[in-house]
Amino acid sequence: MRAILIIAAHQIRRVVRNPGLILLLLAIPLTLAVMEYAAFGRTAAEGKLPPTKVLFLDEDDTLASGAVPQVFSGGPAKDFFELAQVPSRDEAARMFTRGDASALIVVPKGFQDALLAGRPSELVFYANPIQTIGPEIARSMVEMTALIGNGLYAQALEPIGRLKALFDQKRDPTSAEVAAISQGFFEAGRRLGGFQALGDLKVNVQRPGEAEARTGFGNDPKMFFAYVFPGLVVFALMFIAQSLAMRLLRDRMNGLQRRIVMAPVSPMSVVMGGVVYLVTGLLALLVALAVIGAIIFRIQLRDPVSLVAIGLGFAVFAAGLHLLSGSLARSDRSAGFVGSVVVLVLSLVGGTFVPAETYPPFMRAVAALVPNGAAQQGFIDVLVHRVPLADLGGRLGVTWAWGLVTMALAVYFERRRLRV
Amino acid sequence: MFAAGAPERMRAGARQNKAPGGPVIEVSGLRKRFGDNEALKGISFVVRPGEIYGLLGPNGAGKSTTIGILCGLVRPDAGQASLNGIDIARRPVDARRVLGVVPQEVALYSEFSARDNLNFFGQLYGLSGAALTSAIDRVLQRVGLADRAKEPIERFSGGMLRRLNIAAGLLHGPSVVLMDEPTVGLDPQSRASILELVRSIATGGAAVVYTTHYLDEAERLCDRIGIIDHGAILAEGTLQELRQAAGAREIIALRGTFRAEAVALEVEKQADVELIKASEDELLLTVQRAEQQLTQLLAMASTLGTVREVAIRQPSLENLFIKLTGRELRD
Repeated sequence: MRAILIIAAHQIRRVVRNPGLILLLLAIPLTLAVMEYAAFGRTAAEGKLPPTKVLFLDEDDTLASGAVPQVFSGGPAKDFFELAQVPSRDEAARMFTRGDASALIVVPKGFQDALLAGRPSELVFYANPIQTIGPEIARSMVEMTALIGNGLYAQALEPIGRLKALFDQKRDPTSAEVAAISQGFFEAGRRLGGFQALGDLKVNVQRPGEAEARTGFGNDPKMFFAYVFPGLVVFALMFIAQSLAMRLLRDRMNGLQRRIVMAPVSPMSVVMGGVVYLVTGLLALLVALAVIGAIIFRIQLRDPVSLVAIGLGFAVFAAGLHLLSGSLARSDRSAGFVGSVVVLVLSLVGGTFVPAETYPPFMRAVAALVPNGAAQQGFIDVLVHRVPLADLGGRLGVTWAWGLVTMALAVYFERRRLRV
Repeated sequence: MFAAGAPERMRAGARQNKAPGGPVIEVSGLRKRFGDNEALKGISFVVRPGEIYGLLGPNGAGKSTTIGILCGLVRPDAGQASLNGIDIARRPVDARRVLGVVPQEVALYSEFSARDNLNFFGQLYGLSGAALTSAIDRVLQRVGLADRAKEPIERFSGGMLRRLNIAAGLLHGPSVVLMDEPTVGLDPQSRASILELVRSIATGGAAVVYTTHYLDEAERLCDRIGIIDHGAILAEGTLQELRQAAGAREIIALRGTFRAEAVALEVEKQADVELIKASEDELLLTVQRAEQQLTQLLAMASTLGTVREVAIRQPSLENLFIKLTGRELRD
């Protein structure tokens, strides 16, 4: 036991003396978290999508054309769109190039006249070709408004047609024609009157479960970092484990491990010294990241026992994974390559870069069965969903099962390699 | 410390300090096979306290496997090896307590100082507290690095690193020291310094096994030498005994292009000529007097092919080595 502690302490001292790469790796989750917050954080915290900027060019300059912007600046739409007038199509093109706007709506000259004359009228919609989502949102809004407008217009199509015919003939209507037109508008009014409630239509948003039993990040936007940070920490921890394990591998290649084995210590003590160094180091760095997360990102570290239980299990897995790849590899380059590929695949499958809850069902099940996915979801369960330790069985079981199996294999192969 | 270039004086000192007891290292009938390769074919030797035993052989001869078994890292298929009477295969950890190893490569932590390196290795050997500090001071003094103890060793020269490498193996005062080519790649001055150090280790009573490529080192330093090749010790004894074994015969090396299959028959026809090795590009022969027999041998060689180069070697340990192994030490 003494030899194990001496070896582990020595290796940790080396890391402390030469921490450059580890500090760099520690910065990965912090940097990525800040970047994700810059991209999505504010939106998520306010529970709203980022506004889509729509440009408006009024070439008609009439009462009717002036009403068109109301589509984007009135009612609930004003939260989703930012409207800006532009003096010309050239200026709009320049703003498109800079990515400053998603769409341009042009009201062409003669718009009002066409409406009044009953001729087909049109709005011209330009989508910014360098954007994808924003223009689609704006186009949907315009088309939906036109659809509703056309629908309302269709209700009074028959009396309007009679009026138009009178205007075309440039004569006064007869009493019978006035009565028929009035009858037509009356019928249209009566049909719309049946939908009086539409004038006061509201949407009542419901979420399943009680307010305290939150089941998704969307219920508590303030939890942005508590939701995002664990995945990034788990990702970084796997690379940090690789870096720490590579030191052991290089010791082996430089003859340092052989020299230690020549001392009066058992090969198992040498292997376990490496294991203790890796697991202890990873756990210490995990705690450091958690504290940094709490200080910088205001993550509430609730239920530390659960967090340590998950973190320790994952540290055992990450250490075992890279110890194993080092044991089986012929060189540090091959170990580095294999280890990196495994980490990236696990990260993709486990939901580090894209939340696993957005995966299709099969992939979601797979994400819950890989160690990093289980650990990441375990951390989120504790930090965001306030799941108690007793209910973490599945996540803990998966994480620890991977950890123990991987570590057992790593110890077996390391031990076997030390004895010829 | 001994002065450089004083081998006789060094050997005399060693003899005076030899302990009267029995062997500290006993190796008997060691066999080891790695797949199809039989690395050791029944090696046996003993080393007594204060004695430097040179294990001389080319790459792949079996030196490293022998060292690995003595360190308890390699399990022999047959045979026995013991240090201070402790069976290495059965009690490797106990055996390693009396063993100091100086590996061929400089196995030290470059980010640490000399003292920090020794501190770690000392702890592995069970030293701690004042005993450890005192042991570190002692070995640093001994290898001449006391004034550089706190410097990061990445600033050290090759010779200094080698000396510290040796110090790490001596920290716990071992009675057996294995040194695996500790002077490889060093300049003559550093080599001389390390040879003095090795002699002083033996003078202190330790049994030293010293593997080397350098014949002159073995001649200067070792009390006894074992010539090993293809997993077997081909000859063993003091330098004087080995020189006698080599006899007064000289070696003639003929290089060129030959019909190797016809060589043995032609050599048999020559009086007082022994064939050591025959290949398509080299013939190695021993003769009583090379100058007198050279013309006759060249005539014989011309019937076997074309001679491009002729070399004559005087009787020496190297000759014995070539005679026994059919190749030079660095082949």
